[in-house]
Amino acid sequence: MDKQAILKELSDAMVSCKADVIMAATKKAVDAGMPSVEIIDGLADGMTEVGDQFERGKVFLPHVMMAANGMQAAVDTLDMGAAGATVKKVIINGTVEGDVHDIGKSIVSTMLQSAGFEVHDLGRDVPNAKFIEAIKEYNADMVGLSALMTTTLNGQKEIIELLKANGMRDNIKVMVGGAPATTAWAEKIGADCYAENASEAVERAKALLL
Amino acid sequence: MPIAHIMASGMTGLRAGGDLVARMQLSKSMKIKEAKEYVAKKVGVDVFDLADEYAMRDVREDLGIGVITSVPGAPKGIAAKMNIEKVLDTKINCCDYFRNQIKQ
Amino acid sequence: MATEYILRMGDGKRVSMTKEQIKEDTLAGAGNAVDYGLVPELSADEIDKLIEICTMPGKSVSVEYGMEIPVSHDIGTIRLDGDQGNSGVGIPSSRLVGMMMHERAFGADTMELGHIDYSFKPVKPIVSNECQMMEVAQQNMIVPLFYGAMPNMGLYYTPDGPFENPGDLLKAFKLEEAFASMEHSAEHLTRDIVWIMQKLMASGADGVNLDTTGAAGDADAYGTLTAVKALREEFPEMYIEVGSAGESWIGMHGMLEFEGTVLAGLWPHQQVKLVEKAGASIFGPAVNTNTSRTFPWNLARSVAFTKECCKASTIPIHADMGMGVGGIPMLETPPIDAVTRASKAIVEIAGADGI
Repeated sequence: MDKQAILKELSDAMVSCKADVIMAATKKAVDAGMPSVEIIDGLADGMTEVGDQFERGKVFLPHVMMAANGMQAAVDTLDMGAAGATVKKVIINGTVEGDVHDIGKSIVSTMLQSAGFEVHDLGRDVPNAKFIEAIKEYNADMVGLSALMTTTLNGQKEIIELLKANGMRDNIKVMVGGAPATTAWAEKIGADCYAENASEAVERAKALLL
Repeated sequence: MPIAHIMASGMTGLRAGGDLVARMQLSKSMKIKEAKEYVAKKVGVDVFDLADEYAMRDVREDLGIGVITSVPGAPKGIAAKMNIEKVLDTKINCCDYFRNQIKQ
Repeated sequence: MATEYILRMGDGKRVSMTKEQIKEDTLAGAGNAVDYGLVPELSADEIDKLIEICTMPGKSVSVEYGMEIPVSHDIGTIRLDGDQGNSGVGIPSSRLVGMMMHERAFGADTMELGHIDYSFKPVKPIVSNECQMMEVAQQNMIVPLFYGAMPNMGLYYTPDGPFENPGDLLKAFKLEEAFASMEHSAEHLTRDIVWIMQKLMASGADGVNLDTTGAAGDADAYGTLTAVKALREEFPEMYIEVGSAGESWIGMHGMLEFEGTVLAGLWPHQQVKLVEKAGASIFGPAVNTNTSRTFPWNLARSVAFTKECCKASTIPIHADMGMGVGGIPMLETPPIDAVTRASKAIVEIAGADGI
């Protein structure tokens, strides 16, 4: 079996969203002598496909979680050798203070987690200071700020100002999202990126952190 | 923004015959063509007239189904709706509700 | 140098585009709907018509004579006195004044009574107040008057409601618990919508407008459609308008079915078939605007989805055309040029029965 065929089988296994299929494909790849890093690449390609299928309404959030869990279980069986255990990039995610909208932000957290990030979802209506505390506590690489109302959008700007005031801005990426947020708004308040939806959030996070 | 839609595409409610067409869409799930034809026939105008303020002004006043300006003595509110019930041959919940409150 | 036309980005920012660029984005936007929603491609004539609408010289445009449609309203009650900083303009006035202004001064074809929070769950403790307001309004109003609110099933999850947040449960891979939480919430949502509307129908409401159905995913749509079915059985002549939250109902649960059809991942032309089965009078498909794309891209995408929805439907379609929906830019004050162009296109090309 050639390399491309193995990679496709790994990717297809991920799209099946079934842990046993993912584990079987991973074992087959190991038995064929494929290096662990390449196996992970194959699985990650499949996860990207799962994200696309979610966007298209072909698979749903529980499937995404099942695929992500299957991938994690498979990766745990791999011998990473000299590469050692990969350190996950850490993302703090939450909806800004005064805004009780939760669902879109939760989907983004789930998709980021599924894409291999360590995500700490602070929930909704999160006080500004709590974002700062969590960033420090988890030594986060990125913070995701959601706002679904024009009236709470300014909370994103306040947190960026707070990061600056605490001397933390240079060490962390800031992603903003939510219905009233836009690319222009992100630029205006000095965020690093804006994401239109959950899939885009994963793309942006990968581009900025990996 | 709703005013922009009303200006661009709307039937302008009481100014012409938009509320009547909407009522038939809502009460009988009529698509736009059927609803317009139904209302036009019931109020005795051409379909084209239903969004024409000039054509509908006198029709509304004559039928007592509500006009946009405050014409003294013209039926307003619930009274106009009771006339709409008869003209369009349709039941309106609030008219029933208020009728049922009147002691015989 | 090629002639350039003033258009908008999805966030409302002004941009200049050549006819070639407009055509390119129109084809791409319509193509996105074809690719994702598997709806038929727009014809060459329809693409040309979209480009024509985008390049019309006037700042605002309108439908041709004879093509006018009713414009049904959500949240109009509080658009005047609402002062939350978003939809309302903060003019001190009553809800009755808000409704009557829309009827008598603005030319609205329908209106609705709603409360400032605009979700069903918080209506329960104040339902008597809403009933009294409905009675007063119905004595004064002439246009059809709904009671309107959002199903907003997220309010049933912690920390706002009694059921554990399925987002947290899913992230913890507690799938069965997440499913149970969504199912319980949907049951409560149905119960609340039905109970509230029983009270309001008994106070003279013409019907209900269920705004942004499916905002909390497929379980939200399930709870709402189940409520519609129950209301239709109890009130055969009630006006029921179901407005969708987006072009696809997100599969938070993934396995919930209504009348034998899985709800997750349905597109507008599929959503409407279930809305019909539930017994609604009118459906409002919503196609959300992508703020990073141009107006021609968003409008073409919206038209492609809405056209197929109109074609599939046996009930009237009143397309959702508010801020950030239906090709209209996501801006508190959507530019008139974009609103009127979107309005014309959705009526003349997509064939909507109303807005």
